[in-house]
Amino acid sequence: MFVLLRQLHSDRKTAGIARPARRLSLAVRHVDAGSCNACEHELGATANLFYDLSRHGITITASPRHADVLLITGAITSRMVIPLLSAYQAMPEPRLVAALGDCAMGLGVLGDHRDLAGPLEHLLPVDVRIPGCPPTPEQILDALASSGLAGRATTLR
Amino acid sequence: MGLVTKSAPQNPGTTLVQTTPSSWREAHDSAIHSGGRFRGLYAVGPDEARCSDRAGRDETGTTIRSVFSFGDQVKVLSARAVPGRSGELRGAGASLAGASAAPAGASVTGASGSGWTFPSIVDILPAAAWDEREAHDLYGVDFAGHVPMRPLISHSDCLKSWTVPVVGAGTHQVAVGPIHAGVIESGHFRFHVVGERVLHLDLRLFYNHRGLERAAVGAPLDTGLAIVQRACGACAVSNTLAFAQACEEVLGLWPDAALKTQRTVLVELERLYNHLNDIGAICAGIGFAPGTMAFAALKERAQRLIGRLTGHRFMFGTIQIAKGAFCLAGGERREARQELRSIGEDSMRSWREVLFNTSVQNRVTAVGVLDASSAARFGTVGPAARASGIPADTRSESPRLDYRELQPPSPVDPTGDVAARMALRAAELETTLALLDTLLRCDLHDATAGAVAEGSPVGVGVVEGPRGATTCIVESDGTTIQRLHLRTASYANWPAVAHATAGNLLPDFPLVNKSFELCYACSDR
Repeated sequence: MFVLLRQLHSDRKTAGIARPARRLSLAVRHVDAGSCNACEHELGATANLFYDLSRHGITITASPRHADVLLITGAITSRMVIPLLSAYQAMPEPRLVAALGDCAMGLGVLGDHRDLAGPLEHLLPVDVRIPGCPPTPEQILDALASSGLAGRATTLR
Repeated sequence: MGLVTKSAPQNPGTTLVQTTPSSWREAHDSAIHSGGRFRGLYAVGPDEARCSDRAGRDETGTTIRSVFSFGDQVKVLSARAVPGRSGELRGAGASLAGASAAPAGASVTGASGSGWTFPSIVDILPAAAWDEREAHDLYGVDFAGHVPMRPLISHSDCLKSWTVPVVGAGTHQVAVGPIHAGVIESGHFRFHVVGERVLHLDLRLFYNHRGLERAAVGAPLDTGLAIVQRACGACAVSNTLAFAQACEEVLGLWPDAALKTQRTVLVELERLYNHLNDIGAICAGIGFAPGTMAFAALKERAQRLIGRLTGHRFMFGTIQIAKGAFCLAGGERREARQELRSIGEDSMRSWREVLFNTSVQNRVTAVGVLDASSAARFGTVGPAARASGIPADTRSESPRLDYRELQPPSPVDPTGDVAARMALRAAELETTLALLDTLLRCDLHDATAGAVAEGSPVGVGVVEGPRGATTCIVESDGTTIQRLHLRTASYANWPAVAHATAGNLLPDFPLVNKSFELCYACSDR
């Protein structure tokens, strides 16, 4: 295990990522509403030591009940509409909605209209849009960390 | 060039065998007994919009097809039910035994004699259980003898309609999902438990069902490529490659040596980052953070390299029909080879730390056991099957790819538990890296596929992806898609996850699940 810890320490040093200046926290709840899994992989990658999401005070929460942002991926399938709206309902006010990836933004969606209920804009008020297919971890991180989301969540509160 | 002559076939590989509903079961019996591996069953139009009109559908009748592979040859069994003639199959289904989808002893009902009823094959081929349920849900096909016919893709509010009744003192249900606590795809699990012990697990997936197959009907072949690519990000190369190979078979084309090589490199790069991800995910399943972070970092390095080489971190757009534009030459190729060697050394060092950590090994041994007979019965594919001792690696029977230099991975004790699946991935990482090192000795060039045969109306591509054999079936007139069916390794393996979970502790489910690490999107489509 010490070998692993030493390796991680050196990787972290060579990655050379900066310490952020701003110190506001942001709790994010992710909902996959019909994604191809690529956005999930990239969102998951923001937690690795090359990006280290948590240094920006951003956490992925287990429940929407203590989330500031609902981060939604996918083309919004008809089978995910009710779970998605329930998650939104469960969030405390003020709450923000972020569309992660082109599908969630309703761009170039492939599929059968009978199985899709999107775009997201028709269902929920979207505050932040993160384009890309999928967006890279840097883009996701930039959007979450520097779009003033944390500030907005705080001022709204 | 020796391989080209050896493997360029007289016949591109797929034979369509016409049968009838009454000989459907015998045809399957003989395919199974002559060593065929089941690769999927699907219905061919008309779809549900017309199924709702009962009168209309009885007039048209429908066709179902079943795919078996025999080494590099594929046989597609086809049967058409004609209205008024299928009454003869009454009683053909006999009783069901051993199929997990239906309790033993269920009797034949529902042989209505309409043009939409076929005898079920789940008793002789339990691996087809999900396929029959899908054909029932999406295309309105009835299977006589498949009782109860539980909904798979249709989501019913009636809990009893899709769960197995589990009763007795102290039994209760635990519902999880479709939204999970982590960054995970959507899917619902219903555990029947006593205390912490799981007695049975019912899966309700298909929350991500986007109707991709139906969207492909009538689309040009190239649009099909985009559709199949969106089926799953993490298996984009394997899925699109299976689709491209199926299309090439429809068009009567055969890849040249350069195309074989570059596609093999792409699919092995996909296996590399997925296996690194999966070992990290198993570490996450037991809360071993140093392992999780080490393998997440290795996966990131692999994906950064892939992004530099192909322009996309998931290799979207790299597979095309009948051509390939993934070129790699000179210094760039040498650097890639160097970085792959470095990733290999670091991952083997990290793996040794995981392997020789007693707390990790304590948590993964004898958990989530899938024995060889169950794995065979469920038609399990890929690392999950190999960790249970089933030799299921279609790479050795892929003449459309370049696996001449494939060395078999070092043997792993096939105990079928989480430890075996994890160790097998580590062993395969070494094989994949060695193969990539060999393939990247030479530059990769622009490549094409050349005409070798007449086109065929049905093409089948089978590709060994990171999670196992993925099958793509394309029925086409050569320009537009008439039917597209994608049966991914995840789809084939989900029933085995439910089976391997039963008897374990509920808190061990994430670990068992991650040891299979299946995609939801790929199976939901």
